[in-house]
Amino acid sequence: MAYSEKVIEHYENPKNVGTLDQNDPSVGTGLVGAPACGDVMRLQIKVSDSGVIEDARFKTFGCGSAIASSSLATEWIKGKTVDEAAGIKNSQIAEELSLPPVKIHCSVLAEDAIKSAIEDYRKKRATRGNA
Amino acid sequence: MNDPFELLGVEPKFALDLADLENRHRELSRVLHPDRHVGAPASERRMALSRAIEVNQAFRVLRDPVRRAEALLARRGVRIEEGRDKPADPLLLMELLELGESISDARRARDRIAIERKFSELKARESASVSALGAALEAGEGGDAGAERAVKEIGMLRFTRRLLDEAALALDELE
Repeated sequence: MAYSEKVIEHYENPKNVGTLDQNDPSVGTGLVGAPACGDVMRLQIKVSDSGVIEDARFKTFGCGSAIASSSLATEWIKGKTVDEAAGIKNSQIAEELSLPPVKIHCSVLAEDAIKSAIEDYRKKRATRGNA
Repeated sequence: MNDPFELLGVEPKFALDLADLENRHRELSRVLHPDRHVGAPASERRMALSRAIEVNQAFRVLRDPVRRAEALLARRGVRIEEGRDKPADPLLLMELLELGESISDARRARDRIAIERKFSELKARESASVSALGAALEAGEGGDAGAERAVKEIGMLRFTRRLLDEAALALDELE
């Protein structure tokens, strides 16, 4: 199966690979995996006091489409508010990367990773508020 | 696809005799080979060819423990579909990610010994999972609990293989 040019571009030059400090209260970490294909994805966001995502990093063990989906996701959410980022749909990622039907689940995983990072960030903030 | 066990005429079980499987495949391929159907009518030749293709596909499925297990589960009506699979246990994901990162770190450091250590660790995990998978499929024949355990173990195997690929790639790079 042939990868689209955009997938190859992200696969060869992935954007924002790396780690943010998980213990930083302004960092949210999302960790997701798909047992059906073996992909594991971690996506992290660093959120400013005004609720804007200042930085995003990912690490993905998976196929080219999974790496490209998470790379694109980090690019898209940077500069967005948390609420805007929460609205990103997997179909937008799949369309941008021209993912074939058998690879749609990679974009689903990326959407789940964004949501799970946001959820972690919000949970942290809630606990901090109560402290 | 048709049932691969039926196509190759072997008993549907996880603990297949792989040498026997290979013999069955060789024998069927010989019988279905286009050279043996040269003078036959076109319809018969087409049939033999499509059967030969199916037999090859079935052989590839049965040779691989993960796909063999999936074929056994399919016979029980259990199918694993991407996007419809149960989410993985977060603790397991954390452990897998750490393992993966240790491979990435060793790769960056060009530390062959560290990568080889991870590779054998993963190989050991893989064979433990294959044993567990066999036990889940063969114990309590037809039971849902067994099927559920088998599905979980298949997921485990896919994760492990993903990281094995990662380690193999890192080793190739150091060749």
